[in-house]
Amino acid sequence: MTVRKYLLSTSVALAMSAVAGQAAAECASDALPASMEMPGGFPERALTMIVPYGPAGGSGQVAQAMAQAVSDLTNVSINRDHKPGGSGTVGMTAYMATPADGYTVLEHIDDAASAHALDSGKPNPAEALIPLVTSQITFSQIYIRKDEDRFTDWDSFVTWVKAQDGKATIANVSKEGSMERVTMKFITDATGMKIQQISFDKGAPRYGALAGGQVDALFEQPGDVRKFLDADKFMPILTILKEAPEAFADVPDLTDAGLDFDPLFRFRGFYVKAGTPEDRVKWLQWAFQKAYCEEGYQAYNESKFMTLIESFRDTEGSKELITETIAQYRDVYKEMGLEVK
Amino acid sequence: MIAETFNNFLGGTAALFGDPMGVLIFFGGVVGGMLFGAIPGVSMLTLAAILLPFTAHLSAEHGIMLFSVIYCTGVYGGAITAILFNIPGAPENAPTAFDGYPMTLKGEAGKAVGAAVMCSAIGGTVSCIVMMLATAAIADWAISAFGPPEIFALVFFGLAVAASVGAKSFWKGWLSIMAGLMIAVIGLDPVGGIERYNFDMPYLAAGIHFIPTILGFFAVSEIFVQAEKKATGSFKAPKLSVDFPTFKELWMHKIAVIRSIFIGFFCGILPGIGATLAAFMGYNEAARWSKHRAEFGTGRIEGVISSETANNAATGAAMIPLLALGLPGGALTAMMVGVFQMHDMEPGPLVFINSPDLVWVVFAAMFFANLSILLVGFLEAKTIVNLLRIPFQYLAPMILCLATVGAYAVRGLTIDVIVMFVAGVAGFFLRRSGYSVAGIVLGLILGKIGEQTFAQAMQMLHFEFSGFLGRPIAFGLLIAGFITIFASVYGAFFKKKPQLTES
Repeated sequence: MTVRKYLLSTSVALAMSAVAGQAAAECASDALPASMEMPGGFPERALTMIVPYGPAGGSGQVAQAMAQAVSDLTNVSINRDHKPGGSGTVGMTAYMATPADGYTVLEHIDDAASAHALDSGKPNPAEALIPLVTSQITFSQIYIRKDEDRFTDWDSFVTWVKAQDGKATIANVSKEGSMERVTMKFITDATGMKIQQISFDKGAPRYGALAGGQVDALFEQPGDVRKFLDADKFMPILTILKEAPEAFADVPDLTDAGLDFDPLFRFRGFYVKAGTPEDRVKWLQWAFQKAYCEEGYQAYNESKFMTLIESFRDTEGSKELITETIAQYRDVYKEMGLEVK
Repeated sequence: MIAETFNNFLGGTAALFGDPMGVLIFFGGVVGGMLFGAIPGVSMLTLAAILLPFTAHLSAEHGIMLFSVIYCTGVYGGAITAILFNIPGAPENAPTAFDGYPMTLKGEAGKAVGAAVMCSAIGGTVSCIVMMLATAAIADWAISAFGPPEIFALVFFGLAVAASVGAKSFWKGWLSIMAGLMIAVIGLDPVGGIERYNFDMPYLAAGIHFIPTILGFFAVSEIFVQAEKKATGSFKAPKLSVDFPTFKELWMHKIAVIRSIFIGFFCGILPGIGATLAAFMGYNEAARWSKHRAEFGTGRIEGVISSETANNAATGAAMIPLLALGLPGGALTAMMVGVFQMHDMEPGPLVFINSPDLVWVVFAAMFFANLSILLVGFLEAKTIVNLLRIPFQYLAPMILCLATVGAYAVRGLTIDVIVMFVAGVAGFFLRRSGYSVAGIVLGLILGKIGEQTFAQAMQMLHFEFSGFLGRPIAFGLLIAGFITIFASVYGAFFKKKPQLTES
């Protein structure tokens, strides 16, 4: 099976396109019971949530919003323990050293899946961990400055970039093999553009580079640059989805732009270690999935454009998402010539 | 425009002090920032992280104001322990320890602390005034004029003079800087995220964190040095002094203060750079232009003045990209973004349009927080200086405990404690051999920023060094850096200055 055929067959892509543009009318976990008895008194003390990124970024914020929602729902406190560094490696390593007793949970993003795809020695989040809930799934876009006059839309941007003969620049994250870098490879391969990617590992300098005219474009997810969109500083010129959601109906999507590849997604979720007693896992699954529908958490997700496509996956849905994502990345890495261990 | 600004400021002041809850939060922030800044092992970031969830229960004005006040006073608070115990409360206070602690050993702790109080207040207040006058215009100029090539050139310019700080010879100065640069490359590379020099140890993939390194090279190595003196009978307890500097003494260094205000302000407005680079650059430039350059690192009050003025000048400046563009300059301003978001707001240009009252309450609070450093800071300093009365055999274990807690608290990782003790032992022997631990720390901190911006600059310039020629600011700074290096080589090998020969 070729990579393209495989990607086209993935249920991830199908599921995404099916729900694109639909805000969830009913919250995904509404059907769960309003309360659940604590198994054997668990938890008797506060939970710890290991967050492999700093408190101010997207992961830190979603960890805080979810911890607050779970605490509001269950009256159980959650202490967040941020262990940033190594693109999530440090936090994951620290988490794997904790006991499987349910008292320590982990927040992680799709980087854990792509890291396992590249090196199977790193934990597989669908096997070494039990996903409690995936609470954010989002897509990426290409942005330019609103006052840009060299190009004004996707077509004129592609034409302009081609005329620069490799001198055009786009701000992106720094990690090779990341969702962002792989997607940019899809785009440049499909369009024949040569564009220099400038590596920024932090959001603020990355956004500042576009706002200040240091780069010509920016690769990012809409929730992270919402303030620039609301302030009319940035504008999206390409939505990296097969079908753009209603909120970005006037922005070309992959189909409009004639780009024939399946998009990769940024997703964030919460996990507990495999081997945790089953009754505790069930309680944690209930708490985290139910908390997803708490008003505060939903308001947070909405503020981050996380309701434009369905963001919720329960344990089985998350495992499916992770497993398919790992397979996607593994095939792409092999095609890119990266050493897959 | 000035009249309108003044009116807005008066409105913000009235709103701040006309609200009892606001006053309470303001003073809580002032005292909390100073205390957490001054207690070794915790920092203003610790306090901010603890308070972050609680700000959801405050109004947006109170939440943002609390964080901005903590920012102003916390940056100052870390200077006290840097001066008295060689434990910088935060990385931006590290250069303060370079000369502040030697001043303590010479019995001039009061002068050093007094200088820190005065200069922190001056630097913070001036930058606050500029922030109020021209936030939007400055923010736009900074991000368009200063990209990665310019920031790299600025770091290079800073490193060029850093070799002369604290080492006994030209070569040992440069070797110290190089050692710091070598440590800085451990971890993921800034271009492709490739692991380097971590020997398959996952925790090292995140690199060597500079807080445990600073604690090791400064606090732990100092304890070893003093313990050796105690064992060999040459120990002299630091003389307690609460003699603050006179106005005349500070006036003598007015140029250093003004220069550091400019440097601090300038570094503060660059997104992602913030107060740490400001303090190091302020210190470096003071050393570069001083007639007593060779005495830097041995207890020059100019060192304290320049570092503390610059790091507090960065606080007001760091609010500029945050409020005008939504771009945080450092860790604490990044947490402020979280406070905004908890109240369904985003910092950025719309804040000025949608929430002008909030902006002016915050501006007024920062202005008065910097002024309050003068009053509360002097009272606090008069008290804390008395800690020097504690005999060394009791003080040393306390400092070691606090430093250990501080190193562990950064990320909750044991490796950071190990790094701290390794740096402490290495620092002990390096100092005996005439190497500069200040130079190593300078190399480490500036090296991380420098490597990243160099990589970005080369990508932007399509890997052609000639691209710097087309960026006048970057080119000018690089030329100035090379001139500094040539001048130091000339001074070391041709002028035969006694302080630059091998001792």
